[in-house]
Amino acid sequence: MQRSQYLIELGAVVIVAIATIAVAETKKEYRFEVGPKSKVSIVNQFGSVSVKPSTGNFVSVTATTYSDKVEVDQSQSGNRVDVQSHLLSGANAENSRVDYEVLVPADASVNLESATGPLRAERLHGDVEAEGANAAVDVKDMSGGHVHVKTMAGPITLTNIRDGHVEIDSVSGDVTLTSVTGPLVRVSSTSGRIQYNGDFGYAGEYRFNSHSGNIEATIPDDASVDVTAQSVRGLVQNDVPLQPKVHTSFLVKEGSSFAGTINKAASSVWLRTFSGKIHLKRR
Amino acid sequence: MNCAEFQRELPEFMEEGGNAASQAHLNDCRDCSGLVSSLEAIIREAKELQTSEEPSPRVWNSIEIMLRQEKLIREPQTSGHRSILPSLRQHWGALAWLVPTAAALLVGVGILLYQQRPDNARRAAVAKPAGPAAGANIQTADTSDEQLLQEVSARAPMMRAAYESNLRDVNNYIRDAQDSVDADPNDEEAQQALMDAYGQKSMIYEMALDRSLP
Repeated sequence: MQRSQYLIELGAVVIVAIATIAVAETKKEYRFEVGPKSKVSIVNQFGSVSVKPSTGNFVSVTATTYSDKVEVDQSQSGNRVDVQSHLLSGANAENSRVDYEVLVPADASVNLESATGPLRAERLHGDVEAEGANAAVDVKDMSGGHVHVKTMAGPITLTNIRDGHVEIDSVSGDVTLTSVTGPLVRVSSTSGRIQYNGDFGYAGEYRFNSHSGNIEATIPDDASVDVTAQSVRGLVQNDVPLQPKVHTSFLVKEGSSFAGTINKAASSVWLRTFSGKIHLKRR
Repeated sequence: MNCAEFQRELPEFMEEGGNAASQAHLNDCRDCSGLVSSLEAIIREAKELQTSEEPSPRVWNSIEIMLRQEKLIREPQTSGHRSILPSLRQHWGALAWLVPTAAALLVGVGILLYQQRPDNARRAAVAKPAGPAAGANIQTADTSDEQLLQEVSARAPMMRAAYESNLRDVNNYIRDAQDSVDADPNDEEAQQALMDAYGQKSMIYEMALDRSLP
C-alpha cells in the first residue's frame, strides 16, 4: 500500500515537472526577406546555433527559449539581419539558454556567437565567423567563403572546406581539419591539439602553430607540398618520403625539425610548436 | 528607457552618473549593468597604466601590426573585399573602441616592458630566465588577469575555471616565447611566437570583455 502511494506521488512529481518544462519551453519563428549576399548575425549567450542553407531568398530563425528570463531581439536593416538573445533581470546560465535553428540563403555571410555553443554551419558559400569561449564549433561543406573561428576552450571541427581563407584561433580547444584546402589555412593554438587530414590542396599556404599542443598531419602520396616542421622542446617525426631542402631558415636537427618537398611542392606547409610533438604521416 | 536609449546616453552616464531613468534601467537590465561594470574595469586599468612612460613609436607600430593580425582593427576595405565585422560595434556602439584599446594596453605593457629592459639585463636574462622586467611583466599580467577573472565571476561564475586555466596556459606560452626572444633577439620566429602568444591572450580578454560572451 505504502509502495503504491509512493509510486503515485512520484508519478505526480514527474508529470508536474514535465508540464513545467513544456510550459517553459517556447518556440518562436522569425522570417526575413533578403537579397543576394545578405549578412546574418546570431549572438547568443548560452545555447546552440545551427545554420543551414534555405531554399530561397529568406532568412528563417527558429528560437527556442526555456524561461522568461531571456528574450530574442531581432532586427533587419536592408540586407542585414541581426538576432540576439537579451538577458533580463534574474537571468543566469541555466535559465537563459536559447537554441537557434537558422536557415539562410547559401550565399549569405554569417556571424555566430555563443559562450557555450555548440555552433554549427554547413553547405554555405558566404563567409562564416564563429566565436565562443567554450563553444564546440563544427563547420562543414563550405566553398568559396572565408571561415574564421575563435574559441578559448571549445573544440573546432572543420570538414570539407574549399577555396576560402580559413583562420582559426583557439587557446586550448582541439582543432580537427579534414579535407580543408584554400589559399590560406592558419591555425594558432596554445595547448590544443591540431590535426589535419587532407592533401593541402594546390598553391595554398598552411600555417599551424601551437605552444604545447601536438600537431599531426596525415597526407596522401600524391600531395604536393613544401613542408617545414620544428619543435623547440618536443619530438618531431616524419613518415613521408620528402626531398630534403638545402636552404632552410633554421638548422635542421634530427628529431626536432625537418624540411623537405614532395611532388611539385605546390603548397607551403609550416608547422611549429614549442613543446608539443609534430608528426607528419602517410595516409 | 530601453537598452538602445541607455547606450546612446552611456558617455554622459559614465561621466556624470546619468539621470533617474538611466539609473532605473541599469538596475533592471543585466546587459547594461554588465556593460557599465566592464567599462569601469577598463577605466580603472587604464588609469593604472597612465603611470607608465610614453612608449616609442615602434611600440605603437608593433601594437598596430598585432591588432591588424588579430583583426581587432582593419585596413580600409575595398568594395570587392569581403568583410567579417566583429560583433563589438553592434553591442558597444560608439564605445566599441574600448575593448581593442584594453587589448592594446595589455599587449603594449608586455612589449613596453620587454623593450625597456636594458641590454645587460637582457643578456643576463639568458642565464636567468625570470629577470626583474619579466617579473614586473608577470606581476602586471597577474593583476590584470585577476581583475578579468573577477569580471568573469561576476557575469558567469561557471566560466571562471575555464578562463583561469586558459590564462595560465597563455601566460606560460608568453613566458617561453619571451625566453626564446631573450636568448636570441634576432630570431624572427621567436618574435613571431611572442606576438602569437600575446595574440592568444588578447583573444581571451576580448572574449571576456565582450558582453555578448560572458
